[in-house]
Amino acid sequence: MSEAIVVRIKDLAKRYGQTNVFTGVSLQVAAGEFVAIVGDSGVGKSTLLNCMAGLDHWDAGSLHVQGADLGALSDEQLALWRRKSVGFVFQAFHVLPHLDVAQNIGLPLLLLKAQPAQITPRVNTMLQAVGLEGLGARLPQELSGGQLQRVAIARALVHAPALVLADEPTGNLDPSTAEKVMDALISQTRSSGAALVLVTHSQAAASRADRVLHLTAQGIRA
Amino acid sequence: MMDLLRSFSWQELRQHPWRYAAALSSIALGVALAFSVHLINASALAEFSSALQSVQGQPDASVRGVSGSGSGHFDEAVFETIAAHEAVELAFPVLELSTYALNSNNKKIAVRIVGLDALSAAQMAPALIPRPKETAARFALFAPRQAFLNAAAMQALGDAELRIVNGSRIETLQAAGSISAPGAPLIVMDLGAMQDAFNAQGQLSRIDLRMRAGASPSSITLPSHLLLAQPDDAGERTDQLSRAYRVNMTVLSLVALFTGAFLVYSVLTLAVAKRAQQFALLGVLGLTSRQRLQLVLVEASLLGALGAALGIALGAGLATWGLRALGGDLGGGYFSGATPPLQWSTFAAIAYGTLGWLASVAGAWWPARAAQSLPLAQTLKGLGHVHSQQRKPWIALLLIAFSALFSWAPPLFGMPIAAYFAVGLLLVGGMGLLPWGVSLLYDRLSPLVATKALPMLAVERARRMREVAVVAVSGVVAALSLGVALTVMVSSFRVSVSTWLDTMLPAPLYTRLTSSTQMADGLYFSPDRVQAIAMLPGVQRVEGIRLRNLNLGSTLPDVQLIARPIKLQNAAKTLPLVGEIFQPPAAGAIPVFVSEAMLQLHQAVPGQIYDQKWLVAGIKSTQSATESIANQTPPVFYVAGVWRDYVRQFGSIVMDHAQYVQLSRDERINDLAIWPQANANTLAIQSQVRQLFSEDTALANLVEFASSAEIRSISLKMFDRSFAVTYWLQAVAIAIGLFGIATSFSAQVLSRRKEFGLLAHLGLTRSQILRVVALEGAAWTAIGAIAGCMLGLLVSLVLIHVVNPQSFRWTMDMSIPWLRLLYLAAAVMLAGTITAWLAGRAAASRDAVLAVKEDW
Repeated sequence: MSEAIVVRIKDLAKRYGQTNVFTGVSLQVAAGEFVAIVGDSGVGKSTLLNCMAGLDHWDAGSLHVQGADLGALSDEQLALWRRKSVGFVFQAFHVLPHLDVAQNIGLPLLLLKAQPAQITPRVNTMLQAVGLEGLGARLPQELSGGQLQRVAIARALVHAPALVLADEPTGNLDPSTAEKVMDALISQTRSSGAALVLVTHSQAAASRADRVLHLTAQGIRA
Repeated sequence: MMDLLRSFSWQELRQHPWRYAAALSSIALGVALAFSVHLINASALAEFSSALQSVQGQPDASVRGVSGSGSGHFDEAVFETIAAHEAVELAFPVLELSTYALNSNNKKIAVRIVGLDALSAAQMAPALIPRPKETAARFALFAPRQAFLNAAAMQALGDAELRIVNGSRIETLQAAGSISAPGAPLIVMDLGAMQDAFNAQGQLSRIDLRMRAGASPSSITLPSHLLLAQPDDAGERTDQLSRAYRVNMTVLSLVALFTGAFLVYSVLTLAVAKRAQQFALLGVLGLTSRQRLQLVLVEASLLGALGAALGIALGAGLATWGLRALGGDLGGGYFSGATPPLQWSTFAAIAYGTLGWLASVAGAWWPARAAQSLPLAQTLKGLGHVHSQQRKPWIALLLIAFSALFSWAPPLFGMPIAAYFAVGLLLVGGMGLLPWGVSLLYDRLSPLVATKALPMLAVERARRMREVAVVAVSGVVAALSLGVALTVMVSSFRVSVSTWLDTMLPAPLYTRLTSSTQMADGLYFSPDRVQAIAMLPGVQRVEGIRLRNLNLGSTLPDVQLIARPIKLQNAAKTLPLVGEIFQPPAAGAIPVFVSEAMLQLHQAVPGQIYDQKWLVAGIKSTQSATESIANQTPPVFYVAGVWRDYVRQFGSIVMDHAQYVQLSRDERINDLAIWPQANANTLAIQSQVRQLFSEDTALANLVEFASSAEIRSISLKMFDRSFAVTYWLQAVAIAIGLFGIATSFSAQVLSRRKEFGLLAHLGLTRSQILRVVALEGAAWTAIGAIAGCMLGLLVSLVLIHVVNPQSFRWTMDMSIPWLRLLYLAAAVMLAGTITAWLAGRAAASRDAVLAVKEDW
């Protein structure tokens, strides 16, 4: 069973100076599982997500992803690990404005040095999966917010990562579009078998998770 | 507006002082260079005019010989007639000689000797009034061989016996007093005493005239070998001599100012882009679009005013230093004499300062328009930054078409003003086509790098953000295009000069007594000396060359007559001809070969009779000719060909020496070409030639020798030295352009922190992100280098085929130093890439990786 665990966090603590952000956070996320993390503003949800991505350091505890001890990896090793194993979806979309939609989606594959013969069909599959077929040649500025977020979802999943981290992916969207984006995110993550960790304030989005965890300064609880 | 400047603009300036300092310094540098060139030239001209006025006094007009300065002596018999003319109040006869004096160390000192009527000098030329020493004999003023020296002559030659070179002889004079005239070494003698001392009995160089009230000098009828010159003519001629060189130096100086305008454009465009949301917010709060435009223009205006003020101060300092270090002609060789004092000109300071200010405001115009036309709502949402729509290039094409049109225009006031305007239009038009060029290149390159992540990111950004790319590289394009143009022009000129020297120097060895054409009548080889040299052991043959100046009586400088052995059949081998050789259009017509300047300035038409009275009169005006051939039928000349003359920009005429002697009876030789026999020792020949002058050691020391290889080497060294300044200016302009790249990249990298953060999330390491930035730098400077080289080549066409012929009246063959241009472009690309990488490194060190965190 342990090999099915993608994220394993034990007694994680983070401080900014003398201020504790969180302490004693322990958490496991299995492959194919969808976990939503909720909590008050400033409680450290984003910081926890940063730690899971290997982008931030913690002060105590351990964090393993796919068996790799992130605390023991160098910045270079973390970058290479992220490239292969993690997909990101952000609140503010974050697509590169000078790449077209297909190029944005295919970028992780390019970074993994995939063959062009593999990239094009995979990008087309992802475009179709997120409902953007025929829009591959468009520039980001020609898309709506909902479409941009679907581009971001396709990019997060195109290289079949083991872990998808999403930070308020529906925060900038209207309820109807938000629901469609969540549909796309959940269905694609589930079909790829990746673990999905979502940070959100949205009750609607959180309610669709397998587990909802509340993060507080003292730790994390179901 | 003041409140906005204090808060809004001042904060931006405080955040990026170096960026504004770069724009400010480039404006200051441009103004300083141009202003200093102006001050140096104005000072030199003022000094020259002042010296001229003190020597010549202030006559209403002067009667001169057609044969120009240095050789224009004429019979004094005409003096009586002119002095007695009813329109003339005072006639002042003058004999002048430019020659060398030898100091106590036998060193040659160039001097001007003026013989005059000492009693009339007070009325016409007070600065030339002789002031006898207290110890001088009674009537020293009129005594034989008594000379009066100005301060410079006194300092160089001492206060006792003077040894003056006269032809192949040394004349001895006695220093008897002083004169107050300032400037270069000058000696005054009584007219009769000078005529006796220099074997010029009955000869005059000029007659200065003071006219009666209301009388015009033109009422005096003169024989054909004399002409009437206005007092301003000499100053005007000197002005003409250096004008083209001066204007070209000024235009070259404006290169920095031009690049500075692009840097202002670059800095303010980025400042507007960076503050777009603040501008939009101000717009929402009530600042009108016109006020936004005004705000940016006022920022640029203040920047320009400060830059201009600094430039004027720096320019005055540079001019002071330049006058001391380089002399009044900036190494151009147009003025001789002492270092002139700086002549400050408030008008010029205001004019050049305004130019700097205008450059800054012009550079700010487009960013100001961008601030004016910001879409407020979109910009506030952060959607107003991507420029993907390509503007139609028709305005740029129109500017280039106008540039072509202007390049065909004739010179204005003798200067290639329209051609310079054409260069400006070409640069601006070329810059306008840059987005289209970016698209053309990178649309084709894009598929080739589509499968390589880092190059793909760089190329796609250059391709899709071309407006931003253009802003970043505009300074480099401007600088490089001017750099390439100057490199091609200088290289073409050097290759042409080198080829020209090969043709002009056929003999292995040359000898002469003076390099000054002003002294050509006083320092020469007599026919018997030439014959003696030809007979020396080891000498195979010699060819003599006679040089004379012909004064045309206009404001144009003298035309030089070069008499040397030349026949129609061998002209193409011995002269660097441009075009074909023409046969005589009429029986008995004498062939002359005119330089290219003669076509523009003196109505010479290839293949046709050249019916110019001054030419006939000039050739026949030597004393012996006047006596012996005065009644012969006037000769008829025709233009047998046109030759390229890189020495005399105001015209020269080459004719066969034998025909010249036949017409003028003048057998003096100034330059002698010597062909030694095979295996002959040229040093031994030189020694033997000196021995021919053994009766006078001092004169023997005047004989100069040079091998053709030495003359070639010295000429090319002088060429390289005089163009060295252009390389410095190129380097300055390119450095300014690269600074533009640095400011652009550091600003953009900062504003793209989120983008780099995203790339970090996608798994790019910091070094890979920096590599993307460096590749972007390479992609942008590559287009800048390509555009700069192409534009530079076009500009060089205008410089070579329009500016040079219109400025200096000579042509040259285009010669493109491809390898050097490749190095230049590669160096700019490398520097641009490193600059971008450094800018990215500085910005990325602020932990761009976590920039996306702001959303988490």
